[in-house]
Amino acid sequence: MDIKILQGIISLIIILILAPLFAGLVNKQKAILTGRVGAPILQPYYELIKLIKKETINASSSSFISRVSPIINLTSLIIAAAILPVGFWKPLISFNGDIILFAYILGLARFFQILAAMDIGSSFEGMGASREATFALFAEPIFFFTIGSISFLSGYTSIYDIYHSIQLTNISYEVFIVICSISVFMLAVTECSRMPIDDPNTHLELTMIHEVMILDNSGIDLFLYQYSSYIKLFIYAILEISFFYPFSQQSYILGIIIFITGSLALSFTLGVVETITSRYKMKNIPQYLLFATAIGILNLLIYTFTK
Amino acid sequence: MFGLFIFILLPLFSAVICYFIKNLKIQYGISLLVAILHLSLSLFVFLGIYHIQLPTFFSIDSLSKFFLLILSNVYFWTVLVSNSYLKRPVIPKAEGGKKYYYMLLNFYLTSNSAAMLSDHFGMYWVAAEATTLSVAPLIYFYRNEEALEAMWKYLFLVSIGIAFAFIGILFLTLSAKGTTLEGKQLFFWEFIRNAKQLNPIWIKASFIFIFVGLSTKIGIAPMHSGDIDATSNAPSPIAALMSGSLRLTALIGVMRIFQIIRQTSSYEFARTLLVIGGLLSLFAAFVYMFKVNNFKRMLAYSSVEHLGLILLSVGIGGLAFVGAMYHTVYNSITKIVLFLMAGNIHRHYKSREIDKVNSALNIIPKTSWLFLIAYLAISGIPPFGIFFSEIKIFEGILFSDKPYVLGFVMFFLLFIFVNMGKAIFTMLYKNGDNQINHSAERFEITHLNAIILLILLIIISVVSPDILYVNIINITKDFGLNL
Amino acid sequence: MENVLSILFCLSLFYVAVTWRVKAYVTVLRFQGLILAVLLMIPFIYHFSIFGIILPFTLLLVKVFLIPRYINKIILDLDVKRRIEPTIQQMFFLLLVIVSMIIIFLVSNIISQKTPLDVIPFASGFSAIIVGIYIIMFRKKLIIHVCGFLILENGIFLFSSAVASEFPMMIEIGILLDVFVVVFLMGIALNKISSTFEGFEVTHLGRLKD
Repeated sequence: MDIKILQGIISLIIILILAPLFAGLVNKQKAILTGRVGAPILQPYYELIKLIKKETINASSSSFISRVSPIINLTSLIIAAAILPVGFWKPLISFNGDIILFAYILGLARFFQILAAMDIGSSFEGMGASREATFALFAEPIFFFTIGSISFLSGYTSIYDIYHSIQLTNISYEVFIVICSISVFMLAVTECSRMPIDDPNTHLELTMIHEVMILDNSGIDLFLYQYSSYIKLFIYAILEISFFYPFSQQSYILGIIIFITGSLALSFTLGVVETITSRYKMKNIPQYLLFATAIGILNLLIYTFTK
Repeated sequence: MFGLFIFILLPLFSAVICYFIKNLKIQYGISLLVAILHLSLSLFVFLGIYHIQLPTFFSIDSLSKFFLLILSNVYFWTVLVSNSYLKRPVIPKAEGGKKYYYMLLNFYLTSNSAAMLSDHFGMYWVAAEATTLSVAPLIYFYRNEEALEAMWKYLFLVSIGIAFAFIGILFLTLSAKGTTLEGKQLFFWEFIRNAKQLNPIWIKASFIFIFVGLSTKIGIAPMHSGDIDATSNAPSPIAALMSGSLRLTALIGVMRIFQIIRQTSSYEFARTLLVIGGLLSLFAAFVYMFKVNNFKRMLAYSSVEHLGLILLSVGIGGLAFVGAMYHTVYNSITKIVLFLMAGNIHRHYKSREIDKVNSALNIIPKTSWLFLIAYLAISGIPPFGIFFSEIKIFEGILFSDKPYVLGFVMFFLLFIFVNMGKAIFTMLYKNGDNQINHSAERFEITHLNAIILLILLIIISVVSPDILYVNIINITKDFGLNL
Repeated sequence: MENVLSILFCLSLFYVAVTWRVKAYVTVLRFQGLILAVLLMIPFIYHFSIFGIILPFTLLLVKVFLIPRYINKIILDLDVKRRIEPTIQQMFFLLLVIVSMIIIFLVSNIISQKTPLDVIPFASGFSAIIVGIYIIMFRKKLIIHVCGFLILENGIFLFSSAVASEFPMMIEIGILLDVFVVVFLMGIALNKISSTFEGFEVTHLGRLKD
């Protein structure tokens, strides 16, 4: 087999295995910051294993969508994970223009999740679905303006090529990258339903957004949904960390060290942000997202006009 | 250096002295002395008896000589009246404000002289901003709610306007990039001499910004609201000062940039803008006069009208320009009389509304007669000066390339005259219920001022001294208009 | 280096457009003052001169210390309610700011092909002027109007550094002093307004209409 395909498969497996670990890290950080001992770091794995053993029940008013959607979710996320570069290896799926595929595969996953939520027939899930759809609408431009501005700058359209062309040479480029990473952080917070957009621990009906969509699922369906949400969080974490990779030097040791420290730092930041901020009012969230878009647009403007 | 000292530094010193001395009479004496010195020196400079040398950033040419003389004149008569004015009773909160009055007046003189004499756009800007700062606390003299609101509006709107003018000045430097003027630091004469090399887009943008920004200070529509509120709520000597001289300080800025733009290809654009601005102001005054109910506000709108007429004539050029220069002098003098008399009426009737003022001619005859004569003067009745200047303006407009403007001007002026007359005759002749017990009127210094000023007005307009004519012709030569 | 500082300046403008707190305006003013002072000190890193360091130092003093402290004192004295009540919906304001910024950048790019100027500080300065005007138009509290005016002045300053006009130092200091005294007078006026009227919103100032 070609070494590149092997490398691609290994990176995909790494992402799939390490995803729940990252979520566990974030939860542990949150617990430590609030003064509790908290669940062990490997807790997400135990939860997933527990869910496999449980029985799957579907609502009597649901159709085939509810049975199909969890699988589509996981599949789309695996495909998205396959597009992402981990370290210096070329990912499994990489071609010109795969940013669009990346964004819209994630969009497909969300689309089916929303459909499944509405399919159950309860107004609870419908409310969550409508909120999720609105915020996703505002979050989409952030991705395109941020990653798009880097792609505009470097001239490539494949995620792997874009990240590889980031060279931290002069200071304005560094500031640019830092600002982009802030923007992607805000995007990550939105897409993965973290504070200050959505509280993953709340189960009050007025305040849930993402949790409410999977409220009525159990067993294998819930396993698939939970696992896909962990993978999604990890994907965005890698997107964020890869901004700071020294792609110009091909040193594996340095890469692994940066990967580990980056994940730790990012989970710490996420934990801090989640602990400190409270959830924004629903009507202020579009403005928060527009702010992230504005940062992206500003970057685009400035760097097109200095070229 | 002597010139700089008398014109600019001496009032500054006296402002500082007035801050420390508590006795109002001594402050009055010092300010009056400074005013007399200022007036005599500017008169000598104007008549050509004395030539002064000024350091960098300042220079003197025919336009600044002329406007400086008007400034000194208005300031002198205002200070003369101030002593008796400050003796009038005011609400107790305002007593505390009296001790700042002379300090601010002197500071006003400094900043205005600096602005008139300045040679450099940056210095002009700093001085113009300083004049706003010196006038704003004076507007708040009465310490009531309307005065407060007027001061806030004036300070805020004029500061924003002057910030816009600063943007215009920056555009001016931008227009000089790549030419020999680069790095020459915005001196007027450098720019005027080399105006043909300036970039036309930036000159146009610069003119728009400076004109719009300074029009808040001149009081031209559509940015006249701050100025109107301030003039109608300020005490009458201050209102006279503002109408007579503050507007001219802003006008000199517009005229300087107009002088520069005259030599470039954007000349027609600038002329059109000035004409439009003038017509809009006349229109604004025309509309207001139909529903006038506050006589001080009416006088403020009359200032808007006359400054609009001046700006219009500057834009038209030719004989109208000469008329505009005469008009500035006559307008300032007449406005002093009008505002002082209005102040007297306000004091007697304790209200600024026209409905509350009845049969003034019987109750306060001296003030009313002078007010009536001043109204006739400002409307253009001979032998008062405005008649002569308006004749020149009309003739100039008629023989220019925009004769249709004359129709509008005359239409507006006619209705303004009619409505103002209606208001004033109501105040003077209408018999109301005589419930207010009026004391007999005494002959005060305001009346003496008014009489002297009216006689001065007649003398200047009828005798038309040669030196004035020669100076104005020099100004028109500077502006390149051949008669 | 100027580009980086201008980007940070624009980010602060976005923050001003989004925030609901009154004290955030003062923080933004401090931040912008700091950026401007650093911008002025850049040419002096290489050849240090005592004469040239006076202006950035005064700028720092006035814009970062004196004026924000004075405004904070006013906010404290007048017990201004700490929350802004805007006149249009908050999100549209940000959208308006973004659209204006895009237009300004495009226009300055077009202009810079005819006249040589630094595009980014020019466009940032101009957008600060526009944002200052929007704040004055669309906000109700008077102290916010004063902050909007100061943002306008900051924009003019940035703009003038882009245009690279050689203003003599005296004039620059004169400009700074003028701004400071204007703010001082506005503060006094606001003090008096708060003690005569009940609130200090623009809607209360309506007595002097025709």
